[in-house]
Formats: sequence, C-alpha cells, structure tokens
Amino acid sequence: MRRIIAVVRKEFRQIRRTKAYIGIIFIAPFMQLLIMGSAITNEVKHIPSAVLDLDCSPHSREVIEAFKAVNLFDYLGEVQSRQEATAEMDDGRLKLVLVIPRHFERDLSRGIRPGIQVLIDGVDGNSAGISLGYINSVLAKVQHDWVLHTAGQSTASINLIPRMLYNPDLDSTLNFVPGLIGILLVMMTTMLTALNIVREKEIGTLEQLMVTPLEGWQLIIGKIIPFTVLGFLQFTIGVLAARIIFAIPLRGSLPLLYAMVGLFFLSTMGLGIFVSTITQTQQQAMFVAYFIIIFMLLLSGFFVPIQNMPIFVQYLTLVNPLRYFINVLREIYLKATPFRYLWREAAAMGSIGLTLLIGAALRFHKRLG
Amino acid sequence: MKSSIPAIVGKEIVHILRDKQSLFMVLTMPVLMLLLYGYAITLDMQRITIMVIDNSGTPQSRELIRHVSSTDFFRISKVDSGIHDINTLFQSRMALCVLFIPGDYAESIISGRQADLQLVIDASDPNAASFIQNYMGKVTSEEMIRRNGTEAGLFSVEPRIFYNPDMRSAPFFIPGLIALILILISALLTSIAIVREKESGTMEQLLVSPVKPSQIIIGKVLPYTLLGFVDGVVILVLGSLLFDVPIQGSFLLVACMMVIYVVTGLSLGILVSTISQSQSVAMLAAITLTILPSMLMSGFIFPISSMPRAFQYFSRIVPATYFIEIIRGIVLKGNGIAQIYRQAAVLLGIDIFLITVSIRAFRIRLE
Repeated sequence: MRRIIAVVRKEFRQIRRTKAYIGIIFIAPFMQLLIMGSAITNEVKHIPSAVLDLDCSPHSREVIEAFKAVNLFDYLGEVQSRQEATAEMDDGRLKLVLVIPRHFERDLSRGIRPGIQVLIDGVDGNSAGISLGYINSVLAKVQHDWVLHTAGQSTASINLIPRMLYNPDLDSTLNFVPGLIGILLVMMTTMLTALNIVREKEIGTLEQLMVTPLEGWQLIIGKIIPFTVLGFLQFTIGVLAARIIFAIPLRGSLPLLYAMVGLFFLSTMGLGIFVSTITQTQQQAMFVAYFIIIFMLLLSGFFVPIQNMPIFVQYLTLVNPLRYFINVLREIYLKATPFRYLWREAAAMGSIGLTLLIGAALRFHKRLG
Repeated sequence: MKSSIPAIVGKEIVHILRDKQSLFMVLTMPVLMLLLYGYAITLDMQRITIMVIDNSGTPQSRELIRHVSSTDFFRISKVDSGIHDINTLFQSRMALCVLFIPGDYAESIISGRQADLQLVIDASDPNAASFIQNYMGKVTSEEMIRRNGTEAGLFSVEPRIFYNPDMRSAPFFIPGLIALILILISALLTSIAIVREKESGTMEQLLVSPVKPSQIIIGKVLPYTLLGFVDGVVILVLGSLLFDVPIQGSFLLVACMMVIYVVTGLSLGILVSTISQSQSVAMLAAITLTILPSMLMSGFIFPISSMPRAFQYFSRIVPATYFIEIIRGIVLKGNGIAQIYRQAAVLLGIDIFLITVSIRAFRIRLE
C-alpha cells in the first residue's frame, strides 16, 4: 500500500508540473462540450429553397404561399428558368426548387392532373427524404383544402396521435450532450494513461521502477489512481456544464451514474495501459491509441444508431466500452433507468476493463522475469 | 543553401522508414477505417422494435398489424392487449415504440368515422423518434387509401432527385469519410515531427547547422505530403469502387485538391508540434483540434445548415468543412473548378497562414 501511495504521489507531482495539462484536461473538453453541444443537431432545418413558377396564376401562388409557410425551408425567392435552378443547385446555393408547370391552373380546372416537380439535392439522402416528406404533406393539405372547398365528403380516416416520451420537443441536445460527455472522457483517459507509461519507457525511468521492489500490479494501480481522480473531476465538470449551460435535467440517480463512470474508467484506463505495453515509443502509442479512439467513437452509437449497422459490425461494437457507456449515460439522464436494466452494460464495461488490466499486468510481469 | 531542404527531407524520410510499426499503421489504418466505417455507417433505419397493444381484436385491426409487420422498418416484438407500463417497457428497451389500437377501431373504420390510433415513442433519440412517426404515418395513410379505394389528388408531386437519385447513404458518407480520414492522418503525422527533436535533444544539432527555420518546416512537411497523398488516392479509389460511388467530375481535380487539403492537416500538426513543450502535450492538442471538430462540425454527418447561426461561422474555421464541400461537389455533382474555387482558395489560405505562423513560432523558439 505504501508503495502504491508513493507512485500516486509521484504521478500527481508530474501532472502538476505539466502546465499545458490543465488546459488540455479541463478547459479544452469544457469548450468542446460548450461549442459542439450547442451546434450539432441532426434535425433538418434551413434548407435553402426556391420556386420556379411557370404559371403565375392565383392557384400557383396559393401553392407557393403554403410552401413558404413551412419553417423547415429557408425560402430564398423565385428563379426564372430551369437552367438557373440547376446552376444554383450545382453551386450548392440551393438545395430544393419547386417547379409549378405552365397551364397548372387551366389543367386543374379541366380535371387533368398536372404535376408539380420537386427538384431536390439528394447528396444528403436523409435530409432530402425528410424534406420530401414535408413537401408531400404540405401539398396534400393544399389539395385537401381545395377538395373541401369544392365538395365536402366524409370517408373513414385513421388519425395517428403520436406521444413522445422523455423528450416531447424532440430536442436533440438532450440526446447529444450526455453522449458528448462520454466521448470527451474516453479521449483523455485512454490517451493520458497510454502516453504516460510509454514516456517512462522512452526516457528510461520505467527500468528504474522495475528494479524497485514494486510489483507490476502495484505500479498499474498507482498509475491508474491519479488519472481516475482527474477523470472524475472532468466528468463532474461535464455534468455541471450539462446542467448549467444546457439545462439538461438528470432524471436518474447521480450515484448510479458515478458508479458507472468508475466502471467505464476501468475499461478506458485498461485500454490505455494495454496500449502502452504493446508499443515502444510515444509516437507508436499515440498512433495506436488515436486509431482505437476513432474506432470507438465511430462505433459507439453516437453518430449512427447501432441497430442501423450491418449485423457483423454490430457484433464488433460489443467489445467497445464507449458503446455501453453512451447508452448508460442516455438511459440514466433521459429515462431515469434503474440499475435493474443496466447491469448488462455494467458487466460488459467491468469485464472489458479487468481483462485488459490483467493482460497488461501479466505483460509487465513477464518482462521482469 | 539550396541543398538544405533536400537534406531535411532525406533525414525525415529515414525517420519515417525506420519506424516500421508507425509506417505500417499510417498505410493500413485509413483503409481499415474506410472499410469498417463505410459498411457500418448508414442512416437507413430498419428493424425498429414495436409493441402493438390491440384492444380491438378484429379482422380490421389484425389487417393493420399485418400491414405494420410487412415493412422492413418495423419489427413487432409483441402483440398484446390490456394495459401496460410503458415506462418499464422503454427502460428495459424491449421496444422503441408502442402502438395502441383502441377498442372501437373496427367500428369507426366501418362506419366511416375517424379512428384514433395512439403511438407512444421513446424519444430519447429524437431523430429516430421523428422517423418512426413519419413511417407510421405512411403506413396508416396507405391503410386508409386501401380501405377507401385509391383517391387520386387534384395534382401530383413528382420528385426529381439530383446527384444521388436513389438517396443512398454511401454517396453522402464515403466522400465525407475520406475527408475525415485524411485530416486525422495528416495532422497526426506531423504533430510530433518538431517536438520529437526537442525531446530527443537533436534540436541543438539543427540549431547549430546553417538551416533556416522555413527550410526546416518545409523540409518536414514535404515527405509527409507524399505519404498523405498516397493514402488519399488509395482510399478514394477503394471507396469509389467498393461502395459504388462513381466519380462524376475530374479525378485529377480531386487529386490536386487532396494535396492542398493534406498540407492543411500537416501544417496544423507542425504548428501544434512547434508550440508544444512535450510530445504528449502535442499529441493531446492534435487530437483535441482534429478529431471532434472534423467529425462533428464539418457537415460530415450533422448538417451545418441546421446549426444555430453563430456556430455555422465556427464550422467555417474547420478545414474539413471546405474539403467535404469540394469532394462531394466533384465526386457527386461533377463540379469543376468554377464551382469550388472559393473553397480551394480558403484551404490554400489556411495552408499559407498555418505554415507562416509555424515558421514564426519556430523562430521565436530559437531565440
């Protein structure tokens, strides 16, 4: 125990000595949470759009008015020709153009169904699909009003009443900010532990530690404790920021959340230490850790829901501690989910962490023997 | 001193080749990232677990349930009746949404009245929630049309989808992914190129040699430019072939733009390296400056136009934003230089700015 405390002391002294760490560990994550938490959303808004009215009749103007009223689109005005519409779309200045054909009104009155064209930039298929859905419903409503105007008739109809639980306003901040906290934690904890040990290797102080009567596992624990303390501090800053800046209510239990963070750190520190045992230089450790982190982020369910991924990739995500942690954060934050429904995630993070730490301790041990 | 840049380049190449493990990673990781993520990333939702509570229990309600289960979008986890605790159901994640069919559903349908269906959605993922709502809306309106006989509207709506007619995910993601991988790799490559010399004590040797700071910086960036460019071409060709994203515009133009963009990443790394005290600080700073901004603020997944105005300006200082516009423009829309010269100019400007600042900072370091 005394030996472990000695290692912890030494680490804290070193961390304090590196001034830039304060900025990197506390200020940078806070700024990132502030900026990205405010900015990112996967809602579709402000689609730059225009109208090409080849009919210029009362009816076509009515369609345009209805279209302008949709707050999903930023209506930028009318274009004069198809060529202009296409050129503006190529340039990326417009993403959507509604084309009302010539003789639109005349055809309507004669009962010939004219077609309104929607030219849409399909690069982002997701946004395009949502925009089309909106346009369809707006134009359906226009037709419905016109039909009612001419002849009222009753038919069977099915009315869908949606109820959005946990997030009635569909505010994406509620979903992203807890996830971001997890992402910021993974970056620091994994990186710091990996670099710390490899640095000792590179400058030769690890050899000195090895000849002291310090066991491999004692060294590992001594290294983990200070970074865990830093991690908990970071996490607390994140929780406070979520509360104060984004007004995100924590609906579940705070102690449960902290316990889960502890398990998560077990896995990220384990990963960091493991990386340090398989690399020789800081540069190598950095490369390995960097790529592992990127994979962890991309396959965490933060960017793309895991159930959307192909099955074999879904299996891959099972070894990703961040996947479980982001899930846990969202569940506890938004749904107040109790431990009863989160024990699988807890077990997964704990066992990933223990496996990596034991593996790392064995590798240290081998090098001594 | 014309020969000094080649000398530095030579020295750096030796260093790159000596560290086999890092070199192997730099060449294989981009491909691995492309493969894994190219397949993993799709926004097409499917297999959404839904529970149906059918309190009608009639042929009409069973027909609706059949209609729901016939889509790829929904996977019915359970059909039941009676009253349930929705909160527990959502917390245990047995279902993402619950459809309630009321007891009077069949009567309303038959007598031409309005039938109310309730759909309760776990909206902790709001994007998924609005998709679920839209999709169920589609199912119910189809059901309605089927029951009433098709009613053609007064006019039709004909979508004409440009650049990505099938609205697939791959054409949207693969170019973005290439932009992401390139910046991540190139910033990483140089982030320790200078600070390494400081830590290992070789800096002094450089200082006493008659090499100018500008020559050192440029000599360090050049060999990595080639490495980054090779990475870029490989993943562009692979991504295009594997994920069926044909390059509409000029391949040569994409390649030229790639060089400009790789240099952006490299000079960002060099700057970080120049002002950092130690390798670990340099790496952490490189990570902080590249990973999250490039992933979240560049339009790679989350649309920039949806961000609050102030933050849209912030996305304009992220280099990946410009390159994503360029590469999507050339690859998907067949853009030529006329449509993308602005973005290219900004990237070039960023390159020159970062390299100049690095040289300045390096000079200050020397004194």
